[in-house]
Amino acid sequence: MPFRARIWKRRAVIVSLRVARLVRTGISRFFPALRYIVQSLHRRWRRSLQFRTVLTTLLLAVTSFAVVGAYLSNQIANNLFQERLTQAESETRYNVKQVQDTFDGAQVTDQSSVITLVYDTLNAVEGRGSVIQRRYVFEAMPQQTKPRNRWVESRASDQLTVSVIPPDLRKAVQESGKDQYWASTVIPVGTEDRPGIAVGNKVTFNGTVYELYLIYDLNTAQQTLDEIQSVLWAGGAVLVLMIGAIAWYVTRNVVSPVSHAAVVSEKLAAGQLQERMVVKGEDEVARLGASFNHMAASLQEQITQLATLSQMQQRFVSDVSHELRTPLTTVRMAAEVLFDARHDFDPINKRSAELLYNQVERFQSLLSDLLEISRFDAGVAMLDAEPEDILQVVAHVIEGAAPVAAEYGSEIILRAPSGGIVVEMDSRRIDRILRNLILNAVEHGEGKPVTITVAANQTAVGVAVRDHGIGMTPAEAARVFDRFWRADPARARTTGGSGLGLSIAMEDTKLHNGWLQAWGNKGSGANFRLTIPLRQGEEIDKSPVQLEPEDIVLPGVPEYRNILVPGPGPAPQPPEAGSPRREASPASKTSVHVPPKEPS
Amino acid sequence: MKARILVVDDDEALAEMIGIVLRNDGFEPVFCADGGQALDVFRSSKPDLVLLDLMLPGVDGIEVCRQIRSESDVPIVMLTAKSDTSDVVRGLESGADDYVPKPFKPAELVARVRARLRPGDQKAPETLRIADVTIDVAGHTVSRGNERISLTPLEFDLLVALARKPWQVFTRELLLEQVWGYRHAADTRLVNVHVQRLRSKIERDPEAPEVVLTVRGVGYKAGS
Repeated sequence: MPFRARIWKRRAVIVSLRVARLVRTGISRFFPALRYIVQSLHRRWRRSLQFRTVLTTLLLAVTSFAVVGAYLSNQIANNLFQERLTQAESETRYNVKQVQDTFDGAQVTDQSSVITLVYDTLNAVEGRGSVIQRRYVFEAMPQQTKPRNRWVESRASDQLTVSVIPPDLRKAVQESGKDQYWASTVIPVGTEDRPGIAVGNKVTFNGTVYELYLIYDLNTAQQTLDEIQSVLWAGGAVLVLMIGAIAWYVTRNVVSPVSHAAVVSEKLAAGQLQERMVVKGEDEVARLGASFNHMAASLQEQITQLATLSQMQQRFVSDVSHELRTPLTTVRMAAEVLFDARHDFDPINKRSAELLYNQVERFQSLLSDLLEISRFDAGVAMLDAEPEDILQVVAHVIEGAAPVAAEYGSEIILRAPSGGIVVEMDSRRIDRILRNLILNAVEHGEGKPVTITVAANQTAVGVAVRDHGIGMTPAEAARVFDRFWRADPARARTTGGSGLGLSIAMEDTKLHNGWLQAWGNKGSGANFRLTIPLRQGEEIDKSPVQLEPEDIVLPGVPEYRNILVPGPGPAPQPPEAGSPRREASPASKTSVHVPPKEPS
Repeated sequence: MKARILVVDDDEALAEMIGIVLRNDGFEPVFCADGGQALDVFRSSKPDLVLLDLMLPGVDGIEVCRQIRSESDVPIVMLTAKSDTSDVVRGLESGADDYVPKPFKPAELVARVRARLRPGDQKAPETLRIADVTIDVAGHTVSRGNERISLTPLEFDLLVALARKPWQVFTRELLLEQVWGYRHAADTRLVNVHVQRLRSKIERDPEAPEVVLTVRGVGYKAGS
């Protein structure tokens, strides 16, 4: 029936598929669990000294108990056996003699009396009482002429046949003279097989040589051995457990102060300076605790002292700030009132008013830079980071720098990807850094274009500000962030910078966990690169823009949009909300390209 | 009519100088040198705007600001010597509308004062809605159902600016320009603090705003 066969085949396939799926899900269910268990054990092994010690102790204890137990039980078994064997041999010797004596003194008359005699004699070997002391196998030796009146061929105790006698023993008995031999064997008693010893010898009756084997039950010895072994097992298990518990207790005593110290030092490191170890007694652990506490106390003292100093510094800065700023405000307002009215003054007073006004401005910017720096030094500068579009900040700074750029005849070119780059940052500080870099570039750019490149990768955003001015040597580039450092001390300060601008930019960058680097080459300008992580707390692995510029030639990378802030032209309109600039980017690339005033 | 401005500052020279500048620009300054008397002077002089120094002997500026705010919606502009975030934010949170960091230029001060004194330009009768909040622009009232919500003029302007263009996301800079009247860069914390104050008044749950929504990385917009 092919139809039925097909059905069965299909059923078989279905069943086998189900089984396969079951096996697979079983593996996929259990494998992770198993792996988890192994992993967690492995982790504990690595991380917990106590776990490791206890486990090792347990393993060693189990091994040594196994060895000792095996040796002991072997010894005991041997002794028991030897003792029983000796007994068996002497008993056999006696019984065989008894049997032989009975046989020798017997009157051979008729068959039935002979049989009765032999059987009674043999039964007597089994011993009196309800317990059979020994069993016997009685067998006529083969290969001998059979006399006419040999009525007994063989006889054995209940359940026994001659087959329980190992052939080697029979051979030995048959071939020897009157010597006694023994061998271990297994005898059936009731429904079970029991170990036994068979001891054999020969007896002669009525001219026939018989083999007589007496078989001794080793069951009691085996039971004794079993009991001893079970006692050994139980004792061993209890001892191993106790050793494990002892190891656990001892290591806990030693390890717990250490792990306590670890916990306390972690808390200390986390800033809980009042945390101390508990010290009990005078042992090594107590000494560890005491010296640990001593260390913690001196740490706490120093840190508190530093914190106090820093607080004092902060308050001082804050006070100085307030105390200086209030009169400075008055002076500045007064200077401005005078400055506004300078046209009514005679030339001397007019010039004085101008000088006063300008220098008050300069004094004010110097003061605010100094206060800013000291705020960094006091460690009270806080990062107020929020996700914002850095391109908006850049556009904003460029817009602010446009008038100055126009004054110097530089054009500012922005190369940035279209679309926003949202960065977790303190936009006030980023604004300040970029303003500093861009104004610096314009100031030292000798009227040549300043290129700003913005790019991002997975971890960071980079802004490079490149000028093509007089540049600086690598040695100068290395010192450019130092406070009050000037490339050329003799050079006049035209924009009235304090000499702290780049130092503040560096501090602002550090606050963002970012990089601020300078590249310079005498004659071919300088490049400043700011790199900050996209999200605070993440590491920068690579800056998306290059520090060392490859180009001296200006823009034109197709996927970048260019926003040209025309040099001497009017400042661009303030950006609308959202980003109309970006939407207009394709147009802006082809449109305004006002050539710089001076040929570069 | 000259706008009357209460100048609360303990530094006599500065107060006098501010007085000169304000008078020069057609304002009528009133002075108070002590934080403890500021509220009395405020009550008796009924100024159109308060210029308040943050650091005052006796009762400090933040407390004075709180006292004035508790009984009046008059614009308050703080004068601060400290530009630390915490001080500025504390000042703004106590109810000030704007601040001018020392040292400031006279023009800057006057610009801030004028921006806050913008005459309540005759508003056409107009009713705006954001979420479940109704704004009567001409009547200068905001309500949810029958419940009236009291806002300062600045908070009101902020809400109206957002409500007029519910489709638009406002950057903080744009709000600074439209609501505070800043032409150039200013401190965007002003916006953050006032949005929070506004939310604490108009939102059912300020933690989960429905009226003024944050657009991450950009700014704010009106809820729908």
